[in-house]
Amino acid sequence: MSDKVSSQIEIATIAGDPTTDPWREFRQVERITLELTQGYKYSLGKYSRFFIELENRRFMATRCDACAKTYAPPRPLCPSCLQPTTWQELSGEGAVETWSVLHFSPGSNADVRALETPFVLAYVLLDGADTLFPHLLKAPPEQVERGMRVRVAYSEGPVQHPIHLMYFVPVSTYEEAP
Amino acid sequence: MAEAVLDCLTDAGLDDLSAVEHGLASYESDHFNLQMTLGAILQDTIGLTPKPSVRIEGGGATGALALRTAWAHVVSGLCDSILVYGVEKNGRGVSSRTANQLFALSADVDWEMMIGGTYTGFYAAMIRAHMAAFGTTERQFAHVAVRNRRNAGFNPIAQKAMDISVDDVLASLPIAEPYKLLDCSLLSDGAACILLATEDWAKAHCPRYGERPRVYFSASGCGTDTMRLGDRYPQITNFRAKREAARQAYDMAGISQPLAEIDVAELYDSYSGVEIQAVEDLGFVAEGEGGPAVASGAFDLDGELPVNTSGGLLGRGAPVGATGILQAIEVTQQLWGVADARRQVSDARRGLTDTHAGIASISVVNIFERAD
Ligand SMILES: [Zn+2]
Repeated sequence: MSDKVSSQIEIATIAGDPTTDPWREFRQVERITLELTQGYKYSLGKYSRFFIELENRRFMATRCDACAKTYAPPRPLCPSCLQPTTWQELSGEGAVETWSVLHFSPGSNADVRALETPFVLAYVLLDGADTLFPHLLKAPPEQVERGMRVRVAYSEGPVQHPIHLMYFVPVSTYEEAP
Repeated sequence: MAEAVLDCLTDAGLDDLSAVEHGLASYESDHFNLQMTLGAILQDTIGLTPKPSVRIEGGGATGALALRTAWAHVVSGLCDSILVYGVEKNGRGVSSRTANQLFALSADVDWEMMIGGTYTGFYAAMIRAHMAAFGTTERQFAHVAVRNRRNAGFNPIAQKAMDISVDDVLASLPIAEPYKLLDCSLLSDGAACILLATEDWAKAHCPRYGERPRVYFSASGCGTDTMRLGDRYPQITNFRAKREAARQAYDMAGISQPLAEIDVAELYDSYSGVEIQAVEDLGFVAEGEGGPAVASGAFDLDGELPVNTSGGLLGRGAPVGATGILQAIEVTQQLWGVADARRQVSDARRGLTDTHAGIASISVVNIFERAD
């Protein structure tokens, strides 16, 4: 597929008098469409245990005892002292610190393409953690507020990216899995 | 890009690049441009081979980081002249959906992008925290969206000048609340070019040397921060990297009262509220006072410190690899006194440019001054 055009956008220099236009030989431009797709097979590396434990309905952070800091999302290496951290399970409950209501999804993967807009992207301070964990909060957008108590809910899948084995829900609407 | 280079040569009064010692390619994305080692192709296109070249990338800060790096090449004595050419094709090559996906790749892919995050969403969460902490309002940041698009009307190279009101911004489609369509900057194709040189080199080679006030690159600062917003908790309202970059640049330039000592500034208004955060982090006003200050008109063309006289990313456009260079060109033209009279700041002697990558994981502040 192609089209042939001549436009100011294609060549920015203003044409002016055609006899003195320095780009007069190049004003016609052809545009084509390419479709490129790539598949990626990649390792989740030292972060893998976080995702593996989601399958077991456990929410894992990492901790540096020397710095007394708990990282969620996990960091295999403590950036403060450059020592490897250790895994630590958290309850999965926490409070909303800030959020946005997204009316547009870029559809980064199949899991996100399945979302209905608008959806809530929340930054949650999990009990026991020192950092905010960003994820989807399945709650009516107008009910979300700072300090709202939420908790991790687990999905059985199948999912394309294992980060979608979890999401947040308000504590008030959480139901234990059967 | 070739057109930007030719413009630059005309401006310097040079017929060709034979005397120029070094090239520097500034572009962010191999994905958008659909070409790797683009720097080598650009160097070839403008006939700078076999001279040395380097490619610089730093997300949204790419253009400013390129100029900072070029400046370091010159002041270190590695070369006496270096052509900095920046280019990006963010605007027309892909749909805005694909553009958001490609930009989201510059977030932390597994933890931020794969959940459905976009930069609009990350910035929105950040400005919401700013609103909660300081009472900043949507009406205040709408003022930025109005002013910068109005300023773009006085800039012939601007992509999207608009005559709009605060109410128009507030009524525009929600994208990532509290940001709405008119709070968001543009996707642009564009290029820009600057020739940096020592004074001796310019005297010896540029026929137009001395025609205009000499402008020199007087200071530069660069700061960094965690990739993810959540890792900055509890400091999530403002840009720590920008404060660090400004501190370094002000120390180098001997500036202690930035609001009084800077005459014109191009700020990174990727979203309207980001300019409010920037005027705080650059020390123009105290933390939390950016909203009222912006809404008061302090940074309008007739205000105390005019910012984004070019129209900024909201009005002029944001071709990433060219953006920081476009900002430096705007500031230089302001210092020369050759900008369109409707946006020219009277007797501007010192100007600042501010850019950052992501949500300021890398931040660069460059300062330019008139020598006379
Ligand atoms: Zn540590």
